[in-house]
Amino acid sequence: MSKVTTLREAVAAHVKPGDTIFLSGAQHAEPTAAIHEIIRQRIDRLTLISVLTETVALLIGTGSLERVLTGWMIQDERSAALIRAKQMGKLPEFVEYSHFGISLALLAGQMGVPFLPALTQIGSDLMKYNPHLGTVRCPFTERQVGAVQAVTPDVGIIHVQRCDADGNAQKWGSLGVDREGINASRTVIVTTERIVDADVIRREPNLTVIPAFRVSAVVEAPFGAYPMHLAGCYREDVWNWRREIATPEAMEGYLQEFVYGLRDWSEYLEKREALKGADHLDGLLVKNVVLSDPVPSGY
Amino acid sequence: MNRESDALDYSDADQMVVSAARMIGDDDVCYVGVGLPMLACLLAKHVHAPNLTVMTENGVVRTGLFPLPRATDTLGMQTWADQLSGLFYVSCLGQSGFVSLGFLGAGQIDRFGNVNDTAAGDYLNPSHRWPGSGGGNDVASSCDRTVYILRQSRRRFPEKVDFITCPGYLDGKPGRREELGLRAVTGPAAVITNLGVYGFEQGELVLKSIHADAGVTLAQVKAEVGWDIKVAGDLEDTAPPTEQELRILREKVDPQRFWVGGRRSFAERTATED
Repeated sequence: MSKVTTLREAVAAHVKPGDTIFLSGAQHAEPTAAIHEIIRQRIDRLTLISVLTETVALLIGTGSLERVLTGWMIQDERSAALIRAKQMGKLPEFVEYSHFGISLALLAGQMGVPFLPALTQIGSDLMKYNPHLGTVRCPFTERQVGAVQAVTPDVGIIHVQRCDADGNAQKWGSLGVDREGINASRTVIVTTERIVDADVIRREPNLTVIPAFRVSAVVEAPFGAYPMHLAGCYREDVWNWRREIATPEAMEGYLQEFVYGLRDWSEYLEKREALKGADHLDGLLVKNVVLSDPVPSGY
Repeated sequence: MNRESDALDYSDADQMVVSAARMIGDDDVCYVGVGLPMLACLLAKHVHAPNLTVMTENGVVRTGLFPLPRATDTLGMQTWADQLSGLFYVSCLGQSGFVSLGFLGAGQIDRFGNVNDTAAGDYLNPSHRWPGSGGGNDVASSCDRTVYILRQSRRRFPEKVDFITCPGYLDGKPGRREELGLRAVTGPAAVITNLGVYGFEQGELVLKSIHADAGVTLAQVKAEVGWDIKVAGDLEDTAPPTEQELRILREKVDPQRFWVGGRRSFAERTATED
């Protein structure tokens, strides 16, 4: 059954104020198009789970987040997003893990178990302030080990290179916490560079990160990770983009011009080219594409 | 400070990167942080450790050379990798004992090798915030050896950090790490700064060599540590960079000079090195 829809409809149907959301990507392949839509629809009081993502700065800067579960996030006085959130009285609470900690929380969610043991974080002060970290005695050896509580996001959003209309989503390149995060999520939205025939998926099913029956909406969003990079597709423009949101005022201007003032992601891309030149997006396409050998299957 | 070394001038920061690179062996499997650790790691790979396996937090595992990445994840780092996985996978490799070396930057480091990448002052009302653990805690918890590279100042070398993000030898008492449940025979092994090279004895930071050829003095080192630092009985002068190391660093590792004087020359938002 086709789940192809627009980003406006997908976000309106599946992302609610107060939800816990997982956003995929760790610099690589962030779901920027979806982030814009969440902001445009002014969905707030969100709890965000994300690792190393750049473009979530926009969600912080609009005061959309109540809480952030993460292992690494710019939090000092140089973050325009945090300054802006503070000005609005909407500074999110940070719940801090190590990278492994957050991935274990998501994996436990994916596995459907209440927690997972871990041999990290236990010697640190992260334990003092994060109520989702604890210790447990191993029932077999009696030794103390760390424990990380499961997290199950209400909705997960992942941007991928290709997906079929039913929602079989394929992503490659570095995967950050994508597999754990998206599979832990109760409801899943996939944004994809291209919607492809099911045959394309089935010729290399090892690349599928989440199968169709777990996916609620499929949205075609070319350059959907811009200004971040996407393996095999395009390079990033994040160094320039950061300058555009480098101060609270600049971020305000950016949001008005490029998010609130526009109808959708395709209008955004048009506007980027109007600003940065008609060949801006083409210029980001990966030039020296490396093709893998075909992976045979069959019987 | 600059000084003539053979044909090439070099700075104390160059010495820092070169000394750090020398900590890396050809048969190491190294979990590397972005920034200065990556610079040192790539230098080692070019100069004396061509077989080094490099892992990054986002899931890249590779043995081939690569362009110096400006961020944690780059297409240059991904392309021609041996394996692309995720954060969970590389963390498991560490936790199960398959990572010989962790190589990290640090916000602050204390007398017993505990690192603060989180908050100075009160956690809930900090006077300064770093971005947090990232993979740092996992690396420091589980790699056989952990090596830190950072520019040295008194502020960054307090006797006791306000917040332990990455455990060192904790309060310095023997066996503390194992007592808490951390993997045995792990912990910080060395700290490299622009002033000197440090090791650990009975869990305590000890000055092993000073970058004398780059003009550094013992008094200067002591002035930039927040306690009375233990000095090795056989304190040495750091072996200066060779011409080959300096040439490769400039021409092959960082030809665009992303790094100058141990600091980023490009406008990245703050990282633990700042």
